[in-house]
Amino acid sequence: MLRLKVKLALFNLFSKLAVTAIFIILLPYIIERINLRQIDNTLIQKREKVISLIAEYGIEPFISADSTDGFGSYNILKEEFISIEKVDLEEEVNNIEVAKRLIDNEIIEYRVHNYSIQIDGKIYLIEVGKSLASISQTSENTRRVILIFLVFIILITFLTDFQYTQRLLRPLDSIIDKLKGISSPSTFDKKEVPTTTEDFVSLDRALIELMERIDLLFSKEKEITVNISHELMTPISVLRSKLENLLLRENLQPEIEEKIEESLKTLQRLQSLVNSLLLIARIESRQYLKNENFPLRGVLLEIIDELKPIAVDAGIKIEHKLPEPLEISNANRTLIFSMFYNVVNNAVKNTGNGGLITIESFKDKNRFQVIISDTGRGMTPDQLKNIFSRFRSRNEKSGDGTGIGLAIAKTIADFHNIEINVNSEPGKGTKFLFIFPEIS
Amino acid sequence: MNILIVEDEKSLAREISSFLEKENFLCELAFTGREASEKIAVNLYDFILLDLGLPDYDGLELIKEARKINSEASFIIITARGAVEDKVKGLNLGADDYLAKPFALVELLSRINAVARRKFNIKTEDIQLGDFLIQIQSRKLFCKGNEVELTKKEFDLLQYLILNRNKVLTRQQLYEHIWGNILDDQYDSNFIDVHIKNLRKKLNAHAPTPWLETVRGVGYRVTIED
Repeated sequence: MLRLKVKLALFNLFSKLAVTAIFIILLPYIIERINLRQIDNTLIQKREKVISLIAEYGIEPFISADSTDGFGSYNILKEEFISIEKVDLEEEVNNIEVAKRLIDNEIIEYRVHNYSIQIDGKIYLIEVGKSLASISQTSENTRRVILIFLVFIILITFLTDFQYTQRLLRPLDSIIDKLKGISSPSTFDKKEVPTTTEDFVSLDRALIELMERIDLLFSKEKEITVNISHELMTPISVLRSKLENLLLRENLQPEIEEKIEESLKTLQRLQSLVNSLLLIARIESRQYLKNENFPLRGVLLEIIDELKPIAVDAGIKIEHKLPEPLEISNANRTLIFSMFYNVVNNAVKNTGNGGLITIESFKDKNRFQVIISDTGRGMTPDQLKNIFSRFRSRNEKSGDGTGIGLAIAKTIADFHNIEINVNSEPGKGTKFLFIFPEIS
Repeated sequence: MNILIVEDEKSLAREISSFLEKENFLCELAFTGREASEKIAVNLYDFILLDLGLPDYDGLELIKEARKINSEASFIIITARGAVEDKVKGLNLGADDYLAKPFALVELLSRINAVARRKFNIKTEDIQLGDFLIQIQSRKLFCKGNEVELTKKEFDLLQYLILNRNKVLTRQQLYEHIWGNILDDQYDSNFIDVHIKNLRKKLNAHAPTPWLETVRGVGYRVTIED
């Protein structure tokens, strides 16, 4: 995964490098063409100078009229030469070619300009040449300069591009930060991010609109939750009062008493179920505040205190290693209590006589962690998969609960951004690991 | 003491009233907010049990009204809305207690009694149970002059059974009274049994406890012959 600005910068760099590579491949050819044209022009200029010299002084100073020899002149390093000779030609010659010449027993490649001129009815051929070795030397130099220049340009443009895209994408970063920082749609910052890029403006507006819509849906859900609770609780309440009043009658037959109590128990299960579902709905629609600061150790000790008599009665030992108070902030104590309580209670129910439950807490890299492990029945991988689902099948040992306790724990953990990892092995036990969000 | 029960669910209102009448309260019923408002304007009440979810009236408004005319009345709010904000709002307006539906009738009674004790500054008398003497006020239990150490939960259980003496209390009623502050679905009848077992063990080490009965299939009862 790469950041957008890094991707853009990389793409930028690669495209520049690709263009440059093509340019470098073509460079020798281009330089050669440019050089040749340059040289050809020089050769033509030189030839014109020679002709103007001939026009001024006549051909005699170069070639005597009777001599068959031509005129030849070259510089010491044989980089250039000029020759004039008398020839028999039917057509006029005016061309430029590459030709090999033997000068002082040395074969040298030249760029040669051949030009025929007619003086006093005789035809002379003027040749002006320049050695190709000198040309390639120039090409080499030119190429080097161009390469250095290119590297320099790429570096400069890459850096400025990178800076610019970073600047350009800054609003996107702000939008992402805005999204990351919220715990619910209602806390989304409705102030628009300042930018002149239209795409970001529309993204930002779309997000704000979406959050407002979700927020509205959430508050509707809250309303429905309250209504359901009212609708269901009132009839349960009526039934319960009627049954309780019946139970208070004097001289009831024991079996009638028992039947009333059974009905009350069933009603209690219904009540508990509705309450649990409401609790989850309320947490999910964020009707609970997270504004309390308290030490985790206190919560855990309270739970241990609460459940110890039950555990002792069942022949289970509860041990704890809570060396630090672990002060947490912006949380809901009642919910955090409920989360751990459900898990420890679950451990008590699933651990038999002689078992051990261990509760540990510690701080690891700025994150609080709590481990609740038992030596109980454990779970198969299949059971582990459904551990947090709301109506996982109840087993006969789970007591009067509705089997929803761990689902509640998970909902509370999600509400507080707490990570839960569960390890379990059938017959060996289960280990719950709670990882709290990083302390800022 | 006379009580006005404001509850739109008629059969619930009648059950509450029949229960409270057996406990020697005078009960009047109002099934709508308007009816309640009229009754409050005319009569004086010691207690007003108020369902906040009235269809025709904002229950919280009714508290404000009654505060002016019937300033001596104590309010116990009953609501199906368990939301914390309602509870806080009601208590801020001067309600004396708050009960979420569905509640146990004995719990309602014990809340009313608690409010009455506070209001009229009634000191709970010490209660003699066989060889045991329980001091509710100082939360202490003695047996033949020796203090018996109980945990908070055990004392709460014993106290609740004693305050509702001669009534069978179901495990759920006991549980809700003692663990009512814990979020739901943790109810486990086993909890009560374990604590009663521990309580009995502690008491029986000092003296027999024939007054603490297990009512098979139903729950527990403390019997005191007055």
